[in-house]
Order: sequence, then structure tokens, then C-alpha cells
Amino acid sequence: MAIECEDQELLEGFLTETTELLEKLDDDLVALEKAPADTELMNGIFRSIHTVKGASSFLGFELLVKVTHKTEDVLNRLRRSELAVTPEIMDVILEAVDLVKLLVSDIKGGDIVEREIDGTIAKLLPYLSDNAKEATVLRQPAPATPVETPAAEQQGTAAADPPPAPEPQAAPETTPAKGAPPPPPAKTPSPPAARDVDKKADDLSDNSTVRVDVKRLDDLMNQVGELVLERNRMMQLNTDFQGGGEDSAFGEEFSKLSKRISFVTSELQMQVLKMRMIPVEKVFKKFPRIVRNMARDLGKEVDLVVLGEETELDRSVVDEIGDPLIHLIRNAMDHGLETPDERTAAGKPRKGTLILSAAHEGNQIVISIKDDGKGIDPDRIARKAKEKGLVTDEQLAAMGQREILDLIFLPGFSTKEKATDLSGRGVGMDVVRTNIKKLNGIIDIKSELGQGSEFILKLPLTLAIIQSLLVEVEDETYSIPLAAVLETLRVEEREFHVIGGQEVLKLRNSVLPLMRLQKVFNVAGSGRARTACYVVVVGVAEKRVGLVVSRLLGQQEVAIKSLGKYLANLPGIAGSTILGDGRVTLIIDPAGLLENSDGSGGGRIAA
Amino acid sequence: METALQTRVEVARSELIQLVSFKLEEEEYGVNVLKVREIIRMPTITRVPNTPHYIEGVINLRGKVIPIISMRKRFSLPEGETSSQTRIMVMDMDGELMGFVVDAVSEVIRISESEIQPPPAVVNSAVEQECLSGVINQTERLLFFLDLEKLISRDERQMFSGIL
Repeated sequence: MAIECEDQELLEGFLTETTELLEKLDDDLVALEKAPADTELMNGIFRSIHTVKGASSFLGFELLVKVTHKTEDVLNRLRRSELAVTPEIMDVILEAVDLVKLLVSDIKGGDIVEREIDGTIAKLLPYLSDNAKEATVLRQPAPATPVETPAAEQQGTAAADPPPAPEPQAAPETTPAKGAPPPPPAKTPSPPAARDVDKKADDLSDNSTVRVDVKRLDDLMNQVGELVLERNRMMQLNTDFQGGGEDSAFGEEFSKLSKRISFVTSELQMQVLKMRMIPVEKVFKKFPRIVRNMARDLGKEVDLVVLGEETELDRSVVDEIGDPLIHLIRNAMDHGLETPDERTAAGKPRKGTLILSAAHEGNQIVISIKDDGKGIDPDRIARKAKEKGLVTDEQLAAMGQREILDLIFLPGFSTKEKATDLSGRGVGMDVVRTNIKKLNGIIDIKSELGQGSEFILKLPLTLAIIQSLLVEVEDETYSIPLAAVLETLRVEEREFHVIGGQEVLKLRNSVLPLMRLQKVFNVAGSGRARTACYVVVVGVAEKRVGLVVSRLLGQQEVAIKSLGKYLANLPGIAGSTILGDGRVTLIIDPAGLLENSDGSGGGRIAA
Repeated sequence: METALQTRVEVARSELIQLVSFKLEEEEYGVNVLKVREIIRMPTITRVPNTPHYIEGVINLRGKVIPIISMRKRFSLPEGETSSQTRIMVMDMDGELMGFVVDAVSEVIRISESEIQPPPAVVNSAVEQECLSGVINQTERLLFFLDLEKLISRDERQMFSGIL
């Protein structure tokens, strides 16, 4: 059934507000479970649900009203301490919130699907009857969807707040319109339908519009004003010059002007960039819920610590990091952290800690997922990789500790004997690698056996303007994204070694494969003899490679220009940029280069 | 009724179109003027590695990076020296700008569409049949009418399937 809302603006306002409230709700509910005595949090949650209910009844979304109303009633009882916060109640409330999200996303989609809501409501009902106590909840009368079995060990931690004396209360079957404006003529979607709680609820957030801080907009306007001033100055200068002004005076004025213009432009660039930035919190706030559910499923006790969620990064990046982070968190929960018993036996606190943090570091954002679990055992990884036929003995012998840890990113790798619904198919880490590679990011693994492991993601802040390292390959100039560059070295060519036909460089305690850009790009030799050259160590996801170039020219901020459809998908080339002198320089795509060197070869051969 | 329709078709056929004519190895070609954005002299071209040999590289056209294709190389003509006459025709190919290097650009000519004859089965020209959409035979000269979009889209298909 299509939605016929006369006032489109009203509907949009409702959707924006509701979406925001719901996004926060998940996080708050999980927090509430941890701190059931926090009345302020409790009231906040209650208000959110109440607002959603009021607005939806005003707009006549009946399904939404029904669900939110019952949820509100249960929350109300929790608020009055007639019920205690238990994992079971939270499960049901979270399920109801999921349903609300689903219904809202239906409305957003412009079509009200007739969904079955009675199952969820039936689960909420038992908590509303007078004698409902957290412990005495009977089997829910919902036959279709069985309730999760209560996890015994969690009971103790969460149910610390015993319910006070039962206060007789009228059955809360009152009509919804309390405090809310009178409902307009409503269109009733009748309930029964297939209940597909799919991923749709996750896609509530809207990516087509941006909310920008008014202050930022004002700043932007100021910057543009300054730019206009400078332009006027420039035009004046030109007029003076045409009129036959003195050359020396012009030179001086012009150099001042260019400095100011350069300053204003870079400020402007920063401002515009900032408008595209959103806090990483948008992604992070999904995680407490995921961690909670996983912990319950796995029978583990986990404390999730989130740091630096206010760190900002480009929207395009934020949209891409959600999936890899979920996989890394799953990985840490499933493989990293031990069960409470194992932990006690190892002399660690029962509760494992998972630290998720984000921070800016230069022009990058560094996201780390750290657990204090059992760490990654390189021997086990090596053995498993060999069993699965992913590597040979020879390859293993040539690998350092780092390279062995990197094996976990191979598609098909898994240490699990059996695939579960959580992990074990050998896909997750491959997803992580693919997404991070797409973003020109770097993955680092730190692990100490028995102490825990840490996955560090380094991502560029934005994808439109990047810091790059300009290098010369014989007589051609190329630009390498600085985000991928780990270090540069000046080396003599005789320091290179050849292992299995592959040129390598021994760098501290690892063996770095080398790639000569001159060969890869078929650059004509300049005829100059050189003994020393430069090696630019670049990282792509978990891989490292040294690019051999003739000279380093320096660092520059460049705007990426596409090469167009005709030249799209060139192996090893990410795009191009225009240098200060107007020349076009190609930007190297380290990920593409590495992929090509893996033996698959590019689709095209240069003629 | 029949004849009325006939005349209308005739009128449509004789509509004037404008061509930009250019030279390649002493032969004259023409492309629809509506496809040509501008004609520029040879700037510095940045070579793009691992592309078919007829792609000269990319240039900076007022802040836009566009690919440059050498017509001589594309049609397997002997390589010529860049002279003061050498030009790049910047053309709009399905919404994307592309530059074509030609020996010289001569003029814009107006012809009626009826003057364009279908290309002969065997052409004595270096150009591939596929992108040749007609021949214009005027008293003192012969012009090949090209459809470069066809050429480009075929090249693209081949590049993606990895034939080249």
C-alpha cells in the first residue's frame, strides 16, 4: 500500500527524527543493560520510544503505534522498577526496536508492507501482566518464534536490581493518544504477512542528504568572501600591470597575492572537506549491540570499550568500513577471547576486554580493534594454511612471523574445523582485506601469544584529495598515495637479492619483495647510469612491497582526476592529477600493482 | 499520398550538415561538427603505461584530464613527424571528451546529406570499414565521412575483453 501523506515535509521530518532516535536507541539499550540503575538513561530511552509513538500515531502509522506502544509500556514498568532489567527483557525489547526500524524503513521506502507484528507483541505482553517478574516469566504464548533460552551466567550480573513490592496496576491497554496530537484519518495496513527481518533495518540511515553544522557553513561563507576579495585584488593588479606599472613592484605584489590565495584556498579546501566528514560514531554505535548478542551466543563475557568515536572521517570511508570492522570484531570475539573458564584458568580476569578505538594520525585515521584474548599462534596458522593447501613448505620457510600472520587474510583460510554461523568459512578476513584495499588502507596485525592481539587499520581521511609522494622513474613522474607509503629508503642496487626469480631487499628482519616501476610501466631508460636508487615501501592491506624508483621529488597534495571511461581499469593506475606546472601525472594504485604481480597478469598487454 | 511521403523523405535527406575536415596521410576525412568540441595544438602529453600503442597518453585540458589517440597509429599508417600543422581534435564521445591527433585540420564544410554516399564495399583507405559511414564525392575532392564513436566503443569492448 502506498503512503498518501498530504504533507510530504511532515513525513520527511518524521523519518529524519525517528531514524536518529532509533539509531541511538540500540546503543542506549545495551548501555542500560550494563547499568540498570541509571535512571537518566532509562528516562531517555523511554522518551525516545514515546516520541516515536506520538509522531507515528499523529501520522497514522498504526502498526508502528501498536509496537511502540507495547514497548513503551514495558519500558514504563522497567522505569518504575516494577520489573528488573534482565537479558531476557532486553532481548525482547531489542527485537521490538528492530521491528520498529523495519516498519520505519518500510515507510521510508514509500510502501507499507503488511508485516506480522503480533509475534513480537506477544513476547512483550507477558512482561505487562501484573505478576510478571523477571524470573517468573512463563513460556511466551507466541508459537511462531521461540524465545531465546536464558543464559544462566548472565543472570547474575544483570539482575542485580530486585523488583520492589508488586504495585497493583491496571492493565495498560489504554488508547495510544496520551499527550499526542489527535490522529488524522488513518490508513490501516492489516497485519499478517511474511516476517522477513532482513538487513533492511540497517539501511535506515540516509546517505543522500547531509546535515551540516551552521557554524561550518558560516566559516565556509567567510572563506569564500576572502577568496572574492583576493580575486578583486588580483584583477586590480592585472589592470595596474596592463597600464604599465613597474615590474619590480608588480613582482612583489604578485608574490604576496599568491601567498594569500594559496592560504585561502587551502583553508577553503579544509572547510569543504570537513563538511563531508562525519564522526566514526555512526559506525561504532552499532557495535555494542553486536558484541552483546555475540557474547550471549558464544557464552563469553566481554567488556567493549569504545574510544575516539568522535573522530571524523569522510562519508565515503565511513560507508565502507562498517563491514570489515564487524568481521574483525567477530573474529576477536570468536577466535581471540577465551571463555570465562579458560580465562580464569590462565590467570586472567573472567571478563575479556575488547577495545575499539579511532584516532587521527596525520592525514590518516587509525582504527584499532584490540582484545586481551589468547593471541594468534603463528605455528597453528602455518599448519592450517598448509593443510588447506594455501601455501607450500618452501613458501612457509621463506616467511617471517609477519608474513605468516598475514596468511589469515587468504580467501578460504580458517582455523575452525567446522563452519558455524558465526565464522569458519574463511570469508570474513578476505572481506576485510578487499574493503580496506578498496580504500587504499593498510592493515597491521600485532599479536602476542596469550596476551591478546590487535588489528590496526590505517585509512586515508578522504578519497578526493590525497597527499602523495612524487617520484621519478627515469624521465617520467608518477605520484604514489602517501597513505600507502610506509617508508622510503636510498639503497645501492647491489644490496638487492634474488629469491626464486623475485628481487627482494632485506629490510630489518623481514624480506621485502621489490617491484621495478620502470619495468612495470615500460618506461624508456634515460641512459644515465645509476648505482643508487630509491625504494618506496608501500603497504596494501596486509601486504608490503618495495617500489624501485629513480628519484624522490617530494610530497604534494593532489586532487584525483579520473582518466575517463576509455582508460578506466588500467592495472596499477588509480587515476591522474595535474601538477602545478599543468602537466598530468599518473597516480599509482599500489593495490592494483600488487594484484597484477600475483601472477594473474593484467588483461591487457602493451603492444 | 505515396508521392507526398516520398517528397518529405527527400527533403529530410537533403538537410545540410556540417563537417570538420582533416587530413591524414594525404587523404581527407570528415567528422560531424557537432561532435567536435575544440581544436588545439599539441600540448605536453603524459604517457600512460600498459595501454594499446595508439593511445598517446593524457593531457590537461583546462583542468580536465583527457585521453589522446593518434589517428595515424590507430589506422596503422606510417608514423609522421609532428609539424606545425598537427592538431588535436577534442571530440565528445558519448559524453566523454577525447582527443584525436591528426595531420592537419582543414575547414568546416557544409554538404547536404544526400551527397553522402554509402561507403563502397572495398575501400581504398586505411580506415576500417566499421567506422566509415559514407563517402562524399565532390567534383575536386573525395572525403571519407567517419563515425569515431563506433571506433571508440569497439576499442573499449576489446580492451575490456582483453584482446588488445
